[in-house]
Amino acid sequence: MSENVKAVRAYRRNVALALGLLLLVFVLIPVFVKSPYILNIFVLVFYMSTLSMAWNLLGGMTGQNSLGHAAYMGLGAYASCLLITKAGANPWLSAIFGMIVVGLVAGVIFYPCFILRGPYFTLVSIAFGEAMRQFIINSTFFGRASGVGLPFGRDSWLDFRFGSKVPYYYVGLAMVLLIYLLMKKIERSRMGYALRTIREDEDAAAAIGINPTKYKIMAVVVSAMVAALVGFFYASYIRYIDPDLMVQAKSTESVLPAVVGGAAYVEGPLVGGLIMIPLSEFLRARYSAMLPGINMLLYAIALLAVIRFRPTGILGWYMHSKTKKFVDEKLLRKPPVEVFEAVELQKHSGKEA
Amino acid sequence: MDIFLQACVNGLLMGGFYSLMGMGQNVIFGVMKIVNFCHGEMLMVGMYLTYVLSTAFGLDPYLCVPFVAVLMFMLGAVIQHTLITPSLGTKSFTNLLFLTVGLGLLLSNGALVIFGSEYRTIPTSYAQTYISLGPVNVALPRLISFCVLVVISVVLFAFLKYTTTGKQIRAVSQNPVGAEVVGINAKRIYILTYGIGTALAGVAGALLTGFYTIFPTAGASFGFRALIVVVVGGLGSIPGAFFAGIFLGLLETMVALFISPSYSDLIVFITFIVILVVRQMIIIRRK
Repeated sequence: MSENVKAVRAYRRNVALALGLLLLVFVLIPVFVKSPYILNIFVLVFYMSTLSMAWNLLGGMTGQNSLGHAAYMGLGAYASCLLITKAGANPWLSAIFGMIVVGLVAGVIFYPCFILRGPYFTLVSIAFGEAMRQFIINSTFFGRASGVGLPFGRDSWLDFRFGSKVPYYYVGLAMVLLIYLLMKKIERSRMGYALRTIREDEDAAAAIGINPTKYKIMAVVVSAMVAALVGFFYASYIRYIDPDLMVQAKSTESVLPAVVGGAAYVEGPLVGGLIMIPLSEFLRARYSAMLPGINMLLYAIALLAVIRFRPTGILGWYMHSKTKKFVDEKLLRKPPVEVFEAVELQKHSGKEA
Repeated sequence: MDIFLQACVNGLLMGGFYSLMGMGQNVIFGVMKIVNFCHGEMLMVGMYLTYVLSTAFGLDPYLCVPFVAVLMFMLGAVIQHTLITPSLGTKSFTNLLFLTVGLGLLLSNGALVIFGSEYRTIPTSYAQTYISLGPVNVALPRLISFCVLVVISVVLFAFLKYTTTGKQIRAVSQNPVGAEVVGINAKRIYILTYGIGTALAGVAGALLTGFYTIFPTAGASFGFRALIVVVVGGLGSIPGAFFAGIFLGLLETMVALFISPSYSDLIVFITFIVILVVRQMIIIRRK
């Protein structure tokens, strides 16, 4: 219906406007905010949101719920760090090297694993993450449990090494933006449609000529490469990595922004990350001396509340509220595709909702 | 040879716990087709419950087991009724998955907030008592725990096999719609199964306290091993879960004995991935 089309167009315009304004604000923040603490939180938001977007490509878009993204991130960090420390390579080149290595590892390891569906895939991703962590802990080449440190020195763009947080802030912002545009591109491409078809019904996707294994491998490789990029960024920022980077809890943490924000949307992880991470950091700084774990407790409560009451996430909630007048209230609890179907059905039957 | 026998017995005794955890997970997974990612945290809650009961009332940890079972059953039933049943309706696997992940986070961080991160133990007079069985020495608490959990496994097996409620649970696990058609209240069965699952995890926790330290992330490794047990032992099979748990315990100690203790986790995870993939390949072949 034309009203539907209008609503969608108006929504897209609003989103573009809001994103443009938001970007301007983010570019200007370091000019006005000098506190390293605040800037640190923003850098954290940037790389966690990027990691979450990487998860979202596989989890939200393809429906393969991985719980091993911390392992890709850790592997990427290790691959680039070791190339820097052992071979003295340039950090930017080693970032590319790390991404390629992790992409290959993910592709090769998950190729046989994609015959597994649903919960079994999740189990393999957990086992893969833990196996990688145990492997690094036991390997002298990877520095065992004591980790790898990157050299300190004077500020330099070539070595991606700074005393101040401002350059990291801008690189982080650029990374988020780049990955967001990449995800948006994927979402609108043939691959994006194929992935969403696989998410809804793998057998049906195969029946209409989409090769599920091929697209799932593509998704897992892209997702792992983005996670490896985040790993490189993290390593350059913190300048020290250890196997604790890859613990199971970190994988869970990387999923939360996406699920809270709305896993069906590319913007979901950004929304979730912007809301959840500053809140979590605030609680950590404020209460962790007295009550350790309070920030993760809040994370857990937010996650449970969102899943229980607004299963499509914050963004899904907002989107539904925009289309509420077309859709039955009960549908708010269903995944977006079902809502879409219901709208279509109503359109064809000509009934008023 | 003596070391080998000792390792076998240790593996067997530890494997019993994996079996018990796996059975709880198996019941839940079999009936609702959801993976309970907070199963390990339920074990941890059981440990802290035992700790609280035994320090507050001076009860022996093993006497706490029935109370822990009842309390954990109630906790599981409440969680199922308020959180999981409503989300089952959305049929979104992602949401169900992260619901249990979120519950796990809630429980482990809740324990961290309430009890702090220090390691706790429940001191008992018999903690350091060893019994000699031929060439093998067995710690008394481990032996008692193992006997108790064998009894529990047998009771659970009989319950699912012979009682009416057990038959109803199996009916729902095989075909929920068909079960509803013949007049079984599926929601009630869901509550019952989740309660039983959490109670089993809690009991495993209570039995562990005799010789294991209590800390907020104590359950994590058991939780994952429970999933391995379900996959290896076969869906819905209680004897399968029992033997898979024992197998896992033995595998761990054998790797620790013949290769290196630090590799046991790595080998367990890799074995798991291989078993999963090979099993799926066999299933596809058969079709």
